[in-house]
Amino acid sequence: MKNIKIIFSISFIVLFSVAQAQKGETKLSISYNAALPMNDFKNVVSSTSFRGFNASVLHGVSDNLSIGLAVGFQDFYQKNGRQLYHFSDGTDVSAVVTNTIQTIPLLADVKYNFSPGSTVQPYVAAGAGANLISYNEMFGEFGNEQTKFKFAARPEAGLFIPFSNKISGFEIGVSYNIMPFQEGDIKNLNNLGIHAGLSLPLRK
Amino acid sequence: MNEDESRIYITNHDSTVKFNSYKTYSIADSVTLIDNGRFAGRESTAWDQQVMAALQNAMNARGFVKVDRNQNPDLGINVSRVYSTSTQVVDLSDYYGGYGGYYDPYYWGYGGYDYYFPPSYGYYQSTEAALSIDILDLKDASGNQSIKGVWSGLVRGEGIFKSSNVQTQVQALFDQSPYLKTNQ
Repeated sequence: MKNIKIIFSISFIVLFSVAQAQKGETKLSISYNAALPMNDFKNVVSSTSFRGFNASVLHGVSDNLSIGLAVGFQDFYQKNGRQLYHFSDGTDVSAVVTNTIQTIPLLADVKYNFSPGSTVQPYVAAGAGANLISYNEMFGEFGNEQTKFKFAARPEAGLFIPFSNKISGFEIGVSYNIMPFQEGDIKNLNNLGIHAGLSLPLRK
Repeated sequence: MNEDESRIYITNHDSTVKFNSYKTYSIADSVTLIDNGRFAGRESTAWDQQVMAALQNAMNARGFVKVDRNQNPDLGINVSRVYSTSTQVVDLSDYYGGYGGYYDPYYWGYGGYDYYFPPSYGYYQSTEAALSIDILDLKDASGNQSIKGVWSGLVRGEGIFKSSNVQTQVQALFDQSPYLKTNQ
């Protein structure tokens, strides 16, 4: 948990960066991200995670299109009050169950800017790649932490609003994070992300 | 996470058993100590006595009648304090699978018989201490040629051995075992 706080402190310090690369530009983007569990994932963690960030480095291959790598981090947590759980072998367990799930997707990303040079620039993006998942289900103080690599994909849409220098800017957007993960009652970790950030040019 | 939240209460039973067929029970007069998987003696501390008294109240409330162990009780109850000071994690199946042997079958008047406990318990791991309660079928021991465990209760987590938690813990095990009852 201490590591999470450090990560968030850093992410808040460098908060807000999203690239909208034009041709030949390379930009670093970092944004704060909140995530709402969707589908079956809601049955395990129903509350929104406000502990996350996204970052990417994208290179403009044209004025509209940029490609690169994106990484993210999201921490989901939920503690359920004491309940009785029935297992298939007849065991009954009364416990306070806490679920802690952290996802770290590393994606190949492609982004399309519909109107480069405009005051407000809508865009769509898509990413696909690997997802490092840390899953910890605790019954009382007992549990096992598991770490797995799985697939992840992320369609995204948003708006980029450039600052006066036309290079850096502010961005908001939503993404749908597709994260397959099979464990107990969990079929996936799909979630809806809402992010806001800024971009910094790395070089041109 | 506070002490109460840290504790888990685990019960299992033989689903083929009709508890209504048992009428009487007896509780072992001391508690078995198991340390890192080994029998470490028997004690009867104030805490142990509290547990046995709470057990007696719970069993009586479910309709069972306590008798002396020489009066052919239908059920025998063993209580254990289980300690694991090892840093290695221990699967629950080890607890249930191994401890039957530490109860002296002669105590229950069935010298030479082995204990039998249903397999496949075990989801959790711990390096902590536990309270273990086993209810044994003595009524059918001769027919089965073994002393069969028909119900098991286990409490694990923080604060188990505090006197103030004894009643809560025993009651929790019985509350989640509504089938554990009989009619006289």
